[in-house]
Amino acid sequence: MKHEDKLRIQAWMDGELAPKEAARIATLIEQNPEALALSEELRVVENALHLGEKPAILDDSRDFYWSQIERQIDAEEPLLEPYAAPGIASGNLLRWMVPVGSLGAIVFLMINFESMNPQPQPSAPGITTEAPTPATPTGFTESANGLEEEIMEPGGMGVFNFQGSQGTRHLTDPEDPNTLPESIENPDR
Amino acid sequence: MAKKLDIPNADDESLVRAAQRGAMPPYEELVHRHRDKIYARAFSMLRNEEEALDLSQEAWVKGWQRLKQFKHNASFTTWMTRICINLCLDFLRKRKRKQTDSLDQMEEESGGVERRMPVEEFNPTENVEREELRAQIDEGMAKLSYEHRTVLILHEFERLEYKEISKAMHCSIGTVMSRLFYARRKLATLLISLKKERQK
Repeated sequence: MKHEDKLRIQAWMDGELAPKEAARIATLIEQNPEALALSEELRVVENALHLGEKPAILDDSRDFYWSQIERQIDAEEPLLEPYAAPGIASGNLLRWMVPVGSLGAIVFLMINFESMNPQPQPSAPGITTEAPTPATPTGFTESANGLEEEIMEPGGMGVFNFQGSQGTRHLTDPEDPNTLPESIENPDR
Repeated sequence: MAKKLDIPNADDESLVRAAQRGAMPPYEELVHRHRDKIYARAFSMLRNEEEALDLSQEAWVKGWQRLKQFKHNASFTTWMTRICINLCLDFLRKRKRKQTDSLDQMEEESGGVERRMPVEEFNPTENVEREELRAQIDEGMAKLSYEHRTVLILHEFERLEYKEISKAMHCSIGTVMSRLFYARRKLATLLISLKKERQK
């Protein structure tokens, strides 16, 4: 008997053959004593495995076993925490509140700026007046050299910063299947 | 108001859903219920108690971290067992890289000793007590290489099809068939020789 036929006998027993091929192998087993003996041997092994798998029982107590798992979860949790799914308050609501709030604050400052700094009295001809300097305008900090402009990168602004952090979330999100090293629980793996 | 979950009496699905919302006690109950099964699968693949203990615990940690991905399409234990099997496979692959080829693998590659083995016509498990049979199977499985043992476990106990095994083990379906055949025939031979030894 050819080795390929032996493998087909096994595949027939495992239900892996197409109907036409299965019929051919069934005939072979009926007619060929060697094929029949092989199929019997494979069946005995299969039965023995199912009857004879040794049960393995853990010796560790429930609490001890769990405490080790819990400790490992806790140790790895901080890595996952920043990427926890955002709730309504931190997600959709904040997405709109931050820019709207910022805009409102700017408008408020502009209106108050006008009222807090009255227009200078018209001066006599030939005298120039300096533009009024705001106390500490937004976007500037005081330093030894006077006022210096803060470096305001787009990502550093509130609204962009928020979006930026959402963007990075996807890079290591444990729930994102694209970031899993190997999709263990994906049956298509 | 949400009804409080009666953890010890709740079914697996309710516990999993509660754990998916972030509750740890239901997950602890799931671990307690199924820890032996997960450990047993790790042990059957690794044949080492300490390594099986470590990897089974690692599987539970991974299970917690990925619990939100569990879609309830299969049972929770099936899902957990798959996580455990894949961790074991990764572990064995890494260990394998450090070792030289086993005798079994060399035999398989050089044409297969299973081709030369005569088909035995007597039943090695006949009149054998269950405990003795378990001991024999245990001994036989321990003598197989991890590749042969794994295909047997995945096929016989996890009921995976050839195609699924080939994906899990990163090999062709032909290799799966060949390994499975070799493993079964080798196990048959081992069982027969063990029986003969005990009859002496």
